[in-house]
Amino acid sequence: MKHSIAAALLAAVVGVAPAHAEITVGFVTSQSGPASSIGVLYDKGMKAAQEYATAVGEEKIKFIQLDDTSDPSTATRNARKLIEENKVDLVIGTATAASSNAMVAVANELKVPLLAISPITVAPSDTGERWAICIPQPPSLMVKVVINRAKRDGVKKMAYIGFIDAWGDLVYNGAKKPAEDDGIQITTNERYARTDTSVTGQVLKMLATKPDAVLLGGAATQGALPPLTLAERGYKGPLYGTPALLNTDFIRIGGKAVEGVQVSAGPVIVAEQLPDTHFSKKISMTFRDDYQKANGAPPTDGFSAYSFDSWLIFLDAAKRAMAKAKPGTPEFRTALRDAVFTTKDVVGTHAIYNFKPGESYGVDERSLVLVRLVNGQWKYEP
Amino acid sequence: MDAEIATILAMDGIASGAIYLLIGLGLVLIFAVTRVIFVPFGDIAAFTGLSLAALENGHRPGTVGLVAVLAVLATLKETALLVRTRELHRLPHTLLFYLVLPLAPAAAIWFTTGSVLPMPLRIVLALALVLPIAPLLDCLVFRPIADASVLLLLTVAVALHFALDGLGLLFFGPEGVRTQPLTETVLDIGGFIVNAQTLLIVAASIVFSGLLYLFFEFTLLGKALRATAINRTGARLVGIRPTSTASKAYLLGSLLAGISGVLIAPATTMFYDSGFLIGLKAFVGAIFGAMASYPVTALGAILVGLLESFASFWSSAYKEVVVFGLLIPILLWRSLSLGEVEEEEAEE
Amino acid sequence: MSPLQLRLAGLGVVVLLALAPALLSAFSITLMNFIGIYAIAVLGLVLLTGIGGMLSFGQAAFVGLGAYATAWLTAKQGYSPWLGLMLALVLAAAVAAILGAVTLRLGGHFLSLSTVAWGIAIYYLFGNLPMLGQYNGISEIPAISIGALSLADSKSIYYLIWALLIAALVLAANLLSSREGRAIRALRGGRVLVESLGINPFRVRLVTFVLSALLSAISGWLYAHMSRFVSPAPFDVTVGVLYLLMAMIGGMGHLAGAVVGAAIVTILKNSIQDWLPRLAPGASGQLEIVVFSVLFILLLQRARAGLVPFALRFLPRVQPRVPIAEPALDRRLRPARGTPLLNVDGVLRRFGGLVAVNSVSFEVKAGEILGLIGPNGAGKTTMFNLITGALAPDQGRVHFLGQDITHQPQRQIARAGIARTFQHVKLRSSMTLLDTVLLGIYGRTSSRFFAGTFGLDRSEENRARAEAMHQLQRVGLDDRAFELAGNLPLGSQRLLEIARALASDPALLVLDEPAAGLRAGEKAELAKLLTLLKAEGLTILLVEHDMDFVMGLVDRTVVMDFGAKLCEGTPAEVRRDPRVQEAYLGGVA
Repeated sequence: MKHSIAAALLAAVVGVAPAHAEITVGFVTSQSGPASSIGVLYDKGMKAAQEYATAVGEEKIKFIQLDDTSDPSTATRNARKLIEENKVDLVIGTATAASSNAMVAVANELKVPLLAISPITVAPSDTGERWAICIPQPPSLMVKVVINRAKRDGVKKMAYIGFIDAWGDLVYNGAKKPAEDDGIQITTNERYARTDTSVTGQVLKMLATKPDAVLLGGAATQGALPPLTLAERGYKGPLYGTPALLNTDFIRIGGKAVEGVQVSAGPVIVAEQLPDTHFSKKISMTFRDDYQKANGAPPTDGFSAYSFDSWLIFLDAAKRAMAKAKPGTPEFRTALRDAVFTTKDVVGTHAIYNFKPGESYGVDERSLVLVRLVNGQWKYEP
Repeated sequence: MDAEIATILAMDGIASGAIYLLIGLGLVLIFAVTRVIFVPFGDIAAFTGLSLAALENGHRPGTVGLVAVLAVLATLKETALLVRTRELHRLPHTLLFYLVLPLAPAAAIWFTTGSVLPMPLRIVLALALVLPIAPLLDCLVFRPIADASVLLLLTVAVALHFALDGLGLLFFGPEGVRTQPLTETVLDIGGFIVNAQTLLIVAASIVFSGLLYLFFEFTLLGKALRATAINRTGARLVGIRPTSTASKAYLLGSLLAGISGVLIAPATTMFYDSGFLIGLKAFVGAIFGAMASYPVTALGAILVGLLESFASFWSSAYKEVVVFGLLIPILLWRSLSLGEVEEEEAEE
Repeated sequence: MSPLQLRLAGLGVVVLLALAPALLSAFSITLMNFIGIYAIAVLGLVLLTGIGGMLSFGQAAFVGLGAYATAWLTAKQGYSPWLGLMLALVLAAAVAAILGAVTLRLGGHFLSLSTVAWGIAIYYLFGNLPMLGQYNGISEIPAISIGALSLADSKSIYYLIWALLIAALVLAANLLSSREGRAIRALRGGRVLVESLGINPFRVRLVTFVLSALLSAISGWLYAHMSRFVSPAPFDVTVGVLYLLMAMIGGMGHLAGAVVGAAIVTILKNSIQDWLPRLAPGASGQLEIVVFSVLFILLLQRARAGLVPFALRFLPRVQPRVPIAEPALDRRLRPARGTPLLNVDGVLRRFGGLVAVNSVSFEVKAGEILGLIGPNGAGKTTMFNLITGALAPDQGRVHFLGQDITHQPQRQIARAGIARTFQHVKLRSSMTLLDTVLLGIYGRTSSRFFAGTFGLDRSEENRARAEAMHQLQRVGLDDRAFELAGNLPLGSQRLLEIARALASDPALLVLDEPAAGLRAGEKAELAKLLTLLKAEGLTILLVEHDMDFVMGLVDRTVVMDFGAKLCEGTPAEVRRDPRVQEAYLGGVA
């Protein structure tokens, strides 16, 4: 019986004989499951990237995409499938931090460069080698610029409420240090689940600490639940948040309760409001056009632009790596990894990327601007 | 915590509890009549909310497709049964109950798509659209194995929930929705700010539990349902058809779940998968009542709501751990108070 | 197929598995690793749910416990993965023991519901404990190494996974064919049956629960060190249901079902990912869960037994090993003929307002056959339950061999030497005749779980098998020892129950309406057997409705009517008693 499984496996595998001529890139995102609201955006951004370029110089790029169903086990299996079966030269993924972490472990083991599109801290391999970098702004930076802005606005006491998940953890942990530096007291660490029906208990506890402002560690649609309850309970103070709130459903559902919320955002969000001298203006407008062409509607979020930026970084690194080795070989993957880690001044929609060996992130404070929700539109607030 | 906060938390807890109560009563009803622990009632509630939101936005709700597929499958199955038992003269009856009636609300929505209807009509349409889902699922999924053990039926119900979960994502997408508030009045009762929506939820759950009681006490159908619950074989002997009572019980349970969906959708954001946790909490309430007693289930559901509300104040991160951790002592208490019951013989 | 051929086939499979990394592609080995890890957890579920009858949705939570225990100890504290394995096992066993002690007393669906509850609670606990990395999980988990050999890449951990899986399968098979393993297999027959065999069902359920948790912990340990990363999502209740699906597809009642189920679901998941996008672009992930759920429901509706039993029909049967004569098991001392054996004194039992047995007294003497008769509703069955301990009397006492057994649990009374049969035959239809009779020997043997699992019980087991064969011989079923109990006609099933009761070497055999539903020929055969047993010195209490059957057989009779004792005497005396004629014919008169 085990014999027949082995035979079935063998048969399944013989059918797939990958050709090695072109560069192969694997992409994993969550098109289903709880993370799909973000995962689908990454997918749309990648479609825009495919519109932007499908070749490095003369060399065509073979592109393979898999869905991880928001499950880290599936993300692991997908990463292995892409590398072992499709022999990809580089992997991009995925929508949740947990799944991205799981993929880093595979990239380290099988020695394939990975561009993570979720904000994670990249773990090195057993031998201390690094095979993965992280495209988005680190959450600590996303929160830091918000905290700095709160200080500028004169906030002294801030209450925190966020998701019971990795994102809620990241925002809270990211806020602690800069708040301490800026002399702001974080009075609560309240949590709620994406599927919760009420946050009254949490909000009452926050209001009991009499905060000057509230920091929101939720995301997307359900990020609007605390502001709604806060408004119901008579809170009128300022709200601060992270790029996770840049979402049309957040605005639609939050309505009046979320007016005036200030969040940190990649410049791509307010591309058309940026001065022409801003680094992001030109490439962001290109991204918008490509996104419109690929998806039939303009982008309204920051996530899709991460996929797009990851593609820009890959294109730049691949050009340099091709001079050193032939795609489809271990040498090429090493060269590509080295090229990724020496990325210099690549202009993306979110940031000017500079990666160095040994570091996970490659962005600086230029990658975040503050925007405010005014009449349901995000307004650039320099 | 001061008295004011405690009062607000209690109000909030009772409102959540009222939602769990409606679904919990449906769970007890279905279990009594069919021995199925119908886990997907939470999904039915969520689908009602999502359908209502779609109607508000002038979209066609994804449930239309779901109902159509289920109705066609059920009709095919029943027709095949008629052919096999050579009872083709009953075909018009089958077509009416399995195809025409379930599809009528769906068709009404299909033809009015685009125009935004007044709110009461939208609510009625959303309820009518969702109502046939559970009876059709019963016909397709549970009727062929009506005599199986409770455990097997439970396993099937859990699997069914996951199927609906996947279909929900397919039909409604990953984004959450919130429907327009039924009322935006805010009342000031003795210095406490009370949302009229909250009162409406509580009032509705009292009214519908009351109606359920009257229905069981004073209508023939209600008595038939109770008779089936007490003694299945006996009910069959006096001419109560188990399949049709089951369908009616599912309709009634769906109505309760649907109403709770309508009530909850303006108060929170509904996602395709919001139903599972709501259903499970209703279920903790039903276990208080040992899946048998309606009044104790109602009390249990309110208690779960209160516990959840206060737990979210004390330690929001561990809220679910507290609520579901509570189930174990309750189960233990139930099993001890019921005494040792001979477990069923397992099927081979 | 002879046992030797079976061994050779097994060896062939092992050799093929060992060669797999050389023959198969890297990704196939990755899939094989997942299959192996899932199969170990599902094996625990097969033991618990399929064989032990305790439906659990919470298996994934125990896998998570194992994974998190080792992840925390190795990645956060810097200890060796082998210590991680120890911690995983200890923690899983401790949690299972505590949870089990609380929940395993629950009956039927309440137990299963509680598994959903703690499955969810444990999931949220993983996600909220800061020391476990919350929802971000724990990364940088080191690879397992054996000496200097690191098992970092998937081809080397493959050997560890499959070696552990094969070891687990062999040990589980050992266990199931041992004394305690048969007790696990009897659990699904219900509490009354299990207790009547002298088995403590709670203890057996608890140990099974812990064993299943241990297997899950091993699976979790492997998962953590293969993925090198853990987070809460893979240990959700959804995954618990996936494990159930695997067990169900493979075959809940068979150990091999775990491997077959894990393999099919894993391969299916992988290929669905390849072809679903072609059918429904953009919706593949959503449809995957729908496809699996619908498949699951269809299986539950139409093929509950799973694939393995189906496949077994086409495979050659393994020749059973016929037990050979061994030194006999110890037998209890028989009381001298005519001394009082059982004394029922003024026993009363109420059900609500109804007095079912009203102050009944009688005595059974060693070496006789006593008939307890009476019309329907006379209280015979209640009396029977009071003697065997299935019910406790409200008043009065029952003494057996001079010992007061009035309020003793059923299993102690069974062990004291009262063996019973059932009016509605209680047999596990998937057990062989030999195994069924071996169940009766439970109280006379002493090998525990550990001995059974590691094969340290062989000499006792051989003696028990010889004894069981002897008992089958006594009732004339020895030529069908390796058939399944469910395939016998009712008359033979009754004889089999008697053989099972005899196997416990009872001082008193209590038979509950043994003639009910038997044809005339079968009745005669039964009567012949009972006379023979009496001649061998066995004492028999016969509770029977059928007057003719009783009268030709018994030494003395006790007649009950409306809960009270009507009269007592030899068959001839009783037959003459006008009250008896009234009771049996009263409805006509």
